[in-house]
Amino acid sequence: MTIVLPVLVISGIGATLALLLVLAERFIANYGTCRITINDEKQFSVQGGRSLLDALADEKLFVPSACGGRGTCGYCKVKVLDGAGPLLPTEEPYLSDQERASGVRLSCQVRVRNDIKLELPRALLEVREYACTCSEMTDLTRDIKQIRLQLEDPAKLAFVPGQYIQLLSPPYANVEEEVYRAYSVSSDPADTSAVELIIRLVPGGICTTYVFEHLKPGHAVRINGPYGEFRLSETDRPIVFIAGGSGMAPIKSMLHHMQNTNCARPAVFFFGVNRAEDLFLLDRMKTFEQALPEFRFVPVVAQPDEAWAGEAGLVTEAVRRHVTEAAGREAYLCGSPGMIDAAVAVLRELGMPETQIFYDKFE
Amino acid sequence: MKKPPDLQRLEKMLRASRLAAKGFLGNDPRALSEIIEQDLSELARLGYTKEHIATRMQELTDLGRHGLGTPVTVEEDMAVTVDEHRGQIVCPWPHAGRYAKTVTLVHRSDTDEQLCWSDLSIHLVGRHGFFQGRGSPFRLDPAQLVRILYRT
Repeated sequence: MTIVLPVLVISGIGATLALLLVLAERFIANYGTCRITINDEKQFSVQGGRSLLDALADEKLFVPSACGGRGTCGYCKVKVLDGAGPLLPTEEPYLSDQERASGVRLSCQVRVRNDIKLELPRALLEVREYACTCSEMTDLTRDIKQIRLQLEDPAKLAFVPGQYIQLLSPPYANVEEEVYRAYSVSSDPADTSAVELIIRLVPGGICTTYVFEHLKPGHAVRINGPYGEFRLSETDRPIVFIAGGSGMAPIKSMLHHMQNTNCARPAVFFFGVNRAEDLFLLDRMKTFEQALPEFRFVPVVAQPDEAWAGEAGLVTEAVRRHVTEAAGREAYLCGSPGMIDAAVAVLRELGMPETQIFYDKFE
Repeated sequence: MKKPPDLQRLEKMLRASRLAAKGFLGNDPRALSEIIEQDLSELARLGYTKEHIATRMQELTDLGRHGLGTPVTVEEDMAVTVDEHRGQIVCPWPHAGRYAKTVTLVHRSDTDEQLCWSDLSIHLVGRHGFFQGRGSPFRLDPAQLVRILYRT
C-alpha cells in the first residue's frame, strides 16, 4: 500500500499533464483553417500550424528542398506577399538583403497561422511527385552509376532536356530522416515512361551512400520535378558542350533531343576526366556522332597513360586549343563550380559573350 | 556531471546521420568535449594551434582547386587533388554558414601517406577545434595531420 499510493499519485499527475497538453494543442495551438493563395489564381485551404513547405507539398506543389524541411539547405525559397509573419532568425542566414526586401522566405520555416498570399514561378506549379521503380543500375566507373527509374504513378514525366529532378533518399542504416537531392536527367526526353540519372558517389553523402550501398533494382523510389532553367536555346548558333564526370547527364539528354529533332546545329562536346578509365558511355557518344553529322565528341584525359592518343590535359585547355570563332557560338556547361568558372573564363578570352554561355553549376 | 542541454543536442547532432551518412563522431565512445580537449592538447604538444592547421588546410585546398579534380604538385613530394561535388552542407554547430561539398586529398609521395578533408572540416578545425571522432570517415588525427601538412 505504501508503494501503490505514490505510484498512483505520480501516474495521476502524468495523466493530468498529458491531458493538459492535448487540450493546449487543440485550443491554443489550433490556428484553424487557413487559406493559401498562389499568384492570385490558385487557392486552397489547409489546417493551420504546419510549415508552408509541407502545406504546399500536401497540395502536390513541391518546392525544392535538400534537407527535408529542417532549415539547413536554404533551397525552399518562396515569395510571400502577405501573411507570413516576421522573419525568423533561422531564415536570416539564407536570405540576401534584396530577397528580404522582396518578401522571399524559407517555406520550411514559415508556419501557416493565417491566410497567406504567395507568388510562385509558373514552372514550379508544373512540378509533380512520382512513384517509380528502380529498373536498372549500371556501374559507369568506380564511383559513378547510372540508374533507370521506371515511372509508376503518374506513369509519364515530360521534361525539357537540361532539367533536373529531386530524388528522395529514405531512412537507412543510421540515417533516420529522408532527404532530397537534385540530379540532372540524362535520359531521352522522348521516353516519358522513365528517367535516367548519372550519379557520382560523394564521400559521406547521405543520398549517394543510399544509391551506392542500398538501392537495388526492383526497389520503390520517389522523385519530384522537373526543375530548372538550363536548356538549349532556340537559335541556330553552333554549340560547345563542356562537362566533367556526372556533368555529362544534362548534355546527354540534350544530344538525345538533337537526334530526335534532326538538329543540324554544329556541336562539339569536350568531356573532361582524370584518367582514361574514368571515361564512360563512349558507345553512346559514338551513336550520337553517327546520327548527327555535325556533332563531334572530344574526350579529354588529364593524366593520360602511354596508350592514350586523344586530347590530354585539363578540359579547359582543350577548349582553348580547339574552339575557334567563339563569338558566334553558344556554350553549355555542366560540372563543378571550379570547372565552370575556369571554362567561362576561357570562353570569354576566346571572345564568347557571357550572354551566350549557359551553365548548370553543381551548387 | 550532467551535460548542458545545448551540448547534449550538439552531441546528438554529431552522432546522428542527419548531415553526413556516417555522422561526425564515428564509433568514438568519448564525449565531444573530451575529443576536442585531447586533440587540441596533442596539437599544442606538437607546437601548433587549430588556427595554424586550418589556415594551412585552406591554403592547400586553394592551391589544389586549379587542378579541377586532377592532382596538383604544390610542393616537392606533396600533391593535392580537390574534387567538387554538387550541393552544400551546413555546420552541425548551431550557427549560419554553408560549405561546398569539396573534398581535398593530400598525398605525400615521400612517405606515401595521404589524408582527406572537406571544406566543412576546415571550418570544424579552425572554428571549433573539432577533428571528428575516431571511426568517422573524415577523422583527422592531429599528429598525422601535422606530419603531412608540414613535412616534419
